[in-house]
Amino acid sequence: VKATIWAGRNSVDVEDVPDPKILNDRDAIVRITSTAICGSDLHLVDGYVPTMKRGDIMGHEFMGEVVETGTGVTNLNVGDRVVVPFPIACGGCWSCRHELFSLCENSNPNARLAEKMFGFPTAGIFGYSHLTGGFAGGQAEYARVPFADIGPIKIEDTSIPDETVLFLSDILPTGYMGAEFCEISGGEVIAVWGAGPVGQFAAASAKLLGAERVILIDRFDYRLRIARENVDVETLDYEEVDSVPEALKELTGGRGPDACIDAVGMEAHYHGPAFAYDRVKQAMRQETERPVALREAIMSCRNGGIISVIGVYGGLMDKFPIGALMNRGLSIKSGQCHVQRYMRPLLNRILNGDIDPTFIITHKLPLRNAPQGYELFKHKQDDCLKVVLKP
Amino acid sequence: MTVQVRVQDKDSLAQFLGWFSIGLGTAQVTMPKTLCKIVGASDDGIAPLVMRLMGLRELTQGTGILTRPRPTTWLWSRVGGDVLDLSLLLAIAVKNRKARTAFAIANVVAVTVPDVYESRFLSRKTGPVRSAKRIRKAVTIDRPRSEVEAAWNAATELRRKVEAEGASVIFAEAPGDRGTELIVEFDYAPPAGDIGATVQKLLGSDLATQLSDDLRRLKQQIETGQIVRSDGAPDGHLLADHLRQRAAQPVKEAVR
Repeated sequence: VKATIWAGRNSVDVEDVPDPKILNDRDAIVRITSTAICGSDLHLVDGYVPTMKRGDIMGHEFMGEVVETGTGVTNLNVGDRVVVPFPIACGGCWSCRHELFSLCENSNPNARLAEKMFGFPTAGIFGYSHLTGGFAGGQAEYARVPFADIGPIKIEDTSIPDETVLFLSDILPTGYMGAEFCEISGGEVIAVWGAGPVGQFAAASAKLLGAERVILIDRFDYRLRIARENVDVETLDYEEVDSVPEALKELTGGRGPDACIDAVGMEAHYHGPAFAYDRVKQAMRQETERPVALREAIMSCRNGGIISVIGVYGGLMDKFPIGALMNRGLSIKSGQCHVQRYMRPLLNRILNGDIDPTFIITHKLPLRNAPQGYELFKHKQDDCLKVVLKP
Repeated sequence: MTVQVRVQDKDSLAQFLGWFSIGLGTAQVTMPKTLCKIVGASDDGIAPLVMRLMGLRELTQGTGILTRPRPTTWLWSRVGGDVLDLSLLLAIAVKNRKARTAFAIANVVAVTVPDVYESRFLSRKTGPVRSAKRIRKAVTIDRPRSEVEAAWNAATELRRKVEAEGASVIFAEAPGDRGTELIVEFDYAPPAGDIGATVQKLLGSDLATQLSDDLRRLKQQIETGQIVRSDGAPDGHLLADHLRQRAAQPVKEAVR
């Protein structure tokens, strides 16, 4: 079968790989009908996440049809149409029991490796380095889904197109969780860094949850335009202001936003000497992050506010403004999304028309053109915001 | 209750200084002429021989520090060695007048400070020498105690291995309805002290390293009914396979 593989830094290929097989009783094999390229896939391609191996199958946003189930999977049948959540979760450990699915204690067969890196291990993730288990990903024709009895959600209604529900696998729940972290009760001002797919969904979710104003920050006109047209948000082009914290302060009556969502992560862009400092340190592998957005979020947030970190970070950052965080009583909430927790409620929100996630899709390509999709997405060519691949 | 996990006189600074001695000593013994050049001495005549002798001294001290449970005397011998090194370097400085000798002196002074500090630290240790290290490996399994105990009794191979090492196994109810803590405790006194410990760790033959796999796999077995396999790690959690993973692609033949 065909699959998108990591072929070294800045290189992906589509290659023939062996057919996936049932390895555990609770596995299922899914014939993939739609899959997408995620912003976090770019961190892997750019070489900033360690423990990638040549030949690793990429992709953690996918859906399709069940073609085989292990003996332990009783809730899915061959022929079922399912969306697969990106974290692999066993459903039987303390973390899963408390709906902390991306922290599943059993699903990462390379737990010790992750433990050395992060202190404690995290769950397995499809196509996302060996630190998260070395699981083959979903930018392929077929994929093996471990713990298929826990994760995948069935889409019974065949009239719903793939594109409408595909993003339940990662970015819609991730954006939603980022907004939920902000403890919105009505009337808040929320600032969101990054108008990529996750930032767009975080902004839309903040509105859904009752925020009065949402300010979305980016530097690409077309991304900010898509947001203004589809989500009721204000936008800020950071290249047109001297300082984002100062601009936000003036936009919020001198108070600062009640909560700040970092939907950018480790490869932020900026201009000026601060950016050059991080860029050089990151290139020399002296720090793993370029955490401009996170620093700005902390410096911008109102006293006693919340910093919600859903952009992906990998290791260690420099110049963390701990003084601002501590003295101004800020809280940080963060995490890889506990997708399984949000799939059902968000599917309901899609079905009742609260949100239509298809507005972010700018490109649909056949799977064999995945390398082109990565180029478009990475370099923001052709006004690319989200690439869906069709095997 | 006091939870004591590390009961050893030696701390990590002593271990570092021990390995430092081994590293420097090895360099001095194997390439004395190069090191003579580095410190600004001439690389013929008696200097390389003296360098090699100093290297042997370092190797002896390093071995002593790493193998003895409370190497107070060995640490003080490092301080003595520093004094000897400094006087030799001063003699070279006076004779050859090279800048690199001053650099070498600065480096020796930099290591003399922790040598003195650690020697004084160990000198304050009293009472019986504790040679073994108490190791505690624990895992929380989200199941009632009876179920965990039954699974432990059924895991014959693991149980025998733990018993053979004289380790004690404790079951305790985890706080806050979190299931059962399974705790394995044992005294670890490898032959040749820290050197033996490092060799065993690299070979993966010590109990602590093996329990890192075994306890995880037992937890998976009890909580999920299976050993979780991935394409990169088709045999499940095995520390030895962590650094030589296959690519995350389906395996050609099903392993089960």
